[in-house]
Order: sequence, then structure tokens, then C-alpha cells
Amino acid sequence: MVTHTVSKKKILLVDDEPALTRMLRLNLEQTGRFEVREENRGTNALRAARDFRPDLIFLDVMMPDIGGDEVAEQLKQDPELRKIKYAFLTAIVTKRETGTGAAEISGETFLAKPVKRDELLAVVDELLAE
Amino acid sequence: MSDAPDRPAPAPTAAPAAAPDSANPPCVLLVDDIPANLRVLYESLNGRDYRLLVANGGAQALDIAERSRPDLILLDIMMPDMDGFEVCRRLKENADTADIAVVFLSALDDAADKIHGLELGAVDYVTKPFHPDEVAARVETHCKILRLERELGQRNRQLELVRDRILHSMVEGVVGLDVEGRVSFFNPAAERMLGQAAARLLTHEIANWEPAPLRDTAITVLAERREVSVDELALPQADGSTLPVELRAAPIADADYPAGAVLVLRDLSERRRVEAKLHRTSSELSRSHRELRAAQMQLVQAAKLESVGRLAAGVAHEVKNPLAIVQLGLDFLEQVISFDEISTQVLADMQQALSRADTVVRGLLDFSRERELDLRPYAVNKAIRNSLQLVRHELTQRNIAVRTELDVDIPDRPFDADKLQQVFLNLFMNAMHAMERDGTLSIRSDYAPVTAADLGPHARDAGFLPGEHVIRIAIEDTGPGIAPADLGRLFDPYFTTKRQGEGTGLGLSVTRNIVTLHGGSIDLENRPDGGARALLLFPPQNAPADTAPQQAESVAIGHAHPPSATQW
Repeated sequence: MVTHTVSKKKILLVDDEPALTRMLRLNLEQTGRFEVREENRGTNALRAARDFRPDLIFLDVMMPDIGGDEVAEQLKQDPELRKIKYAFLTAIVTKRETGTGAAEISGETFLAKPVKRDELLAVVDELLAE
Repeated sequence: MSDAPDRPAPAPTAAPAAAPDSANPPCVLLVDDIPANLRVLYESLNGRDYRLLVANGGAQALDIAERSRPDLILLDIMMPDMDGFEVCRRLKENADTADIAVVFLSALDDAADKIHGLELGAVDYVTKPFHPDEVAARVETHCKILRLERELGQRNRQLELVRDRILHSMVEGVVGLDVEGRVSFFNPAAERMLGQAAARLLTHEIANWEPAPLRDTAITVLAERREVSVDELALPQADGSTLPVELRAAPIADADYPAGAVLVLRDLSERRRVEAKLHRTSSELSRSHRELRAAQMQLVQAAKLESVGRLAAGVAHEVKNPLAIVQLGLDFLEQVISFDEISTQVLADMQQALSRADTVVRGLLDFSRERELDLRPYAVNKAIRNSLQLVRHELTQRNIAVRTELDVDIPDRPFDADKLQQVFLNLFMNAMHAMERDGTLSIRSDYAPVTAADLGPHARDAGFLPGEHVIRIAIEDTGPGIAPADLGRLFDPYFTTKRQGEGTGLGLSVTRNIVTLHGGSIDLENRPDGGARALLLFPPQNAPADTAPQQAESVAIGHAHPPSATQW
């Protein structure tokens, strides 16, 4: 059901909540501009990244098996994957801290849940434009 | 006891051998140039208890008087070599014989002569021809007077000795003044306390004494003959210091006859030292008490926050994911389905509900964050100004005037600047919402001793005591004030009087937590002339806030925390 187009940017969503990754995917795909893959196990995130070769990864910070920050660390250590952009999705950073859209804390990008569709798309465009 | 130098030293004790008593009968010198008269005199006194000497002329009389020092001389006036007046004059001139009592004998019965003789220092006068018994009676009377005088003198000296011993051993300084204001004595304690003033008291007129309170007291007590006291007087000492003394002056009571005054000095330095120590101890005690209370408050607060914080973090995580799913789901549906009017309204309502739920969860997270303070020296006025800036626009729109009186002398103290601004922002927003439109927001800050009236329940709980210097901020509005029933609940989490959607009910609770974590207090009250007043107190430095903030481990509620946060 996913139509593969060369021009489409690829986004990998890593969150232990399948309904959330689904909603994110539906919103992203609905634009017709992205190819999206969901991964609901943090420990599978790296393998999925190698497999899928995304342009951007969204990482949930708190997952039961592994923290999003640890996944990010492993990405940076991996010579093949280190160039991939990533951002954190978190329930802890509040909107005041992030303002609208994403926030940079210690050089990392954070997106606070619940995120609205408009905000999500704006952050994605911003990250992919860099 | 130091006798004043301008006063004669007490006369050397007269030879006790001369004192008339049974073992040592009075010695009487009889002087007459006529042997028959001498014989009559001798007869009239012989056989009584006297030692008798005789002289037949003035020169001989002087000679014997000088050598034998009789107690009494019966002195004839008319003598060829030297008359009795001359003999008497010479006796009185000579210090060694001046004390000898002289009784003149003469046939001259002239009042002028008698007066002349008495003027020369004689004690009595017997007119010739005299009756032997009269002579004997007069001699006896005068010897008795002499004896009594000597006894009195001795007794007087004993009394003086006792007085001196008492004065010597007194802790108080005693200064005696005569009627003219001359120092008649002072004891060693007075000499020590008077220090540099002592010499001046002896060498200067009373009008030139120093220090002035001492002079004025002495002048007043002498002039008005009533007791005068000075509770504390500083006496300059040789080493440049001053000695605090209490001064009591009293006129010396002597019936109607003015007899000078006595000044009593009491050294207060020991008392002052003890008082100062007591005061220090007491303020140390109240400080420790306050610190203890503050520490206890913080422990309780920390424990409460710990559990609330964990709960909040857990709830936030659990609720935010479903919120995110609903949010994105709604957003997606809006994109892919076309809705009729009613369905569009339903969607809008759902979006609004979502946003409210998100606000509540956010408030909860804010609340859980309050134990983290990033403390740096900061000016409270700066936080006030920054926070005002954030609401300036809305204040203008609501036609609310702002009046500030910010004391520039408030010292910086450790504050978490962001949190402090949050405090003021919350309070300004509350004031603004209370007034709705038109009114005045007044903000005063100062650094002053806290008054009892300033101490609300929270301030007392925090251990503030009347009189201590505090940073004080009062925020007043001209709104309707606080309903009495609400006063006790204002700071409870989730208590709110605002309309739904206007506030989470956490604002004041968060505000109080931040203030408490800074070692301060916040109390809300209604102003007598309407409107509400928030009063914030912060200790200038001490309090727990300035104990070096420990670099705590990153708080466990989120990996995403900036690691610089300090946990309390």
C-alpha cells in the first residue's frame, strides 16, 4: 500500500505506542511527500534504520526496552547511520520549554507530545531542509 | 581613699599620752607673777586629780608650755615681763601649743578685756578676786570638755577609718562633693571608673567638668538638692575606650544645713557584656530556630513534591501519548474527510477539549519541576521588571495602571531567576484577572526590618521574626479581593476561582513552592481599602538558599532534562 517514489523523503518513526506511530504515519503520508516506516520496539530501531535508510528518524525518549537517547547514541556511533538526522518525541518536555514546534536542548531537537499535525510538518520540513 | 590634695591631710594623731584619763591626769599650768596668787591657785587645785605646773611670768609660761604641753593654762593678764594677752597670742601662733586651752585670770573686770581675751582664743575668763572653788569648778569643766573633745576626735577618726574601709571595698565608685562642688573624696573604684575625668574633677571648677552629663548631674544635685540619676554615661578611658556607667547623685542629708552631695558610679560594662551575650545567644537561637523551621518546611515540601512529582511525571507520560494519538487522529480526519456544519463544530469542540487536557497535564509537569532551582545572585527588582514587561501589553489593553516603588538598595541574593519571574508573572496575572478591566496594580519592594503586621501564616511558618531585615515585595490590586471562605485554600493545588479554561488551579501552589524553596514566604490578604495584597518575604542571604547548592543527580523523571538543574 506504500507507493515508493524516488523523490519521497523517508521517515522512520520509533515509538512503543503503535497507535501513535500510526497517526504520525497517516498524517505524514497524507501529504504525499513522505515514505514512512513504523518501529515499535526501541531495540529494533537500529536494524530498521539500516534496512530502511531513512532521511529522518523520530525517537520516543521513554520506551520500555531502550531509551531514545541511547538509540541516538548508537546512531552517532554507527559510520553508516551517523549522517541520519533525528529528533526526539517526548511527553516530558513541556510546550513552554519547546515553545511552538521543536526545541533544541543541548544540541538535540525535541518535539513535545501531543504534537499537532501542522507543528509536526513544520518541524519535519525544517529538519530535512538543513 | 584618696584625699583631695587641696584639703589638709588629717591632723597627725595627737599623742595619746596627752589624752586625759585616770592613769594620765590632766596637766594644768598656773601662771602668775605674784607668788601669793600662785599659792592660792595651787591650793585650790591641789589634792584633786591634776598634774600641776607653775610659772611666775609670761616667758617662763611659754617655755614650760612648749616643753610640757599642759592641757590647760590658767593665765594671769597683768604681768611685768609679758602680759597674758601676748602669751596667749604666742601660744596660739605656735602649732605645738595652739590646742592648749587658755583661761584668763585678772582683776580687770572690763567687758572689752574679756572680749579681747576670748578673741585671742581663750576658752574662759575668771575674775579676781576668785573663790578657789570657782577656779576648781571651771578647771574641772574645761578638762572635761577637753577630754570629751579628744574622745570625740578619736571616735571620729575611728569612724573615718571604718568609712574608708567601706569605701575602699565598694564595687561602686563614690565621689564626695562639698557645698561648693569641690571633690572632698573619691574611692579607688571611682578613680578607676572616672579614668581621665578624675584629674579634671580635682583640678577644675565644677562648671568645667567633663563629660557634660557628669557635670550637669553634679550641678543639679547641688543646686536643687534632690536625687538625680543618669542611666548610662560614657566615661572616656586612658586607652581611648569609654566605660559605660550608671550615675546616681544624692544630696547629703543634713537637716536644713546643706552638706554637699555624693555621686555613686556603677560600672555597667559587665552587665552590658552579659546583655550583649544574651542578645547574641537569643538571636542565634532564633536564627537556628528559623533555619530549622525552614529546613523542616523544605523537607516536608520536598517529600510532598517528590511524590507529587513522580506521580505527575508518570501521569504526564501516560496521558500525553493518548492525547497525542487523539490529536493527530483528529488532525488526520480533518484532512481526509469533509464535514458538515454540525460535525465541524464537534471537531472544534474536541480540539478545544484536547487543548484543555494538555494544559492541565502541562501544569502538572510544571508543578513537579519546582524542586529544581538554579541559584545565582540576582536582583529581585530585575525579576519584577522582566515579569511586568511580559504582561505590559495585556495590562494596557485592560486599562490597568501600574505603580511601582522599587527600592534600589535591595541586596542581590541567590535566586533562580526564571522561577522568580514565574512567581511574579503568576501574581501579576492573578491580579490582572481579579481586576478584569480598569484598576491599579501596585508593586513595592524594599529591604527593611519586618514588622509583626507583615507576618502572615506562611511567614510565621517560615520562621520570620519581627525586626529582622528582609527583602519585602508587596503586590496589590484594586480588584474585588478574596472571598473569606477562599483565603485558607488559595494555595491548595487545583484550587481555582477562575472560569474553566482560564487557569489550572496550580498557579499559586507553584508560586508558593518556588518562594518556599528560596527560603521565603508568601501570604495573601485583603487590603482594608479593597483589593488583595500578596506579600513576599525573602531573607537577604542566610536561609537555605545560600547554602551552596549541591549539584544533584539529574532528576529521574526525564532523560531530556538539562543536566544543570539542581535538585532540592
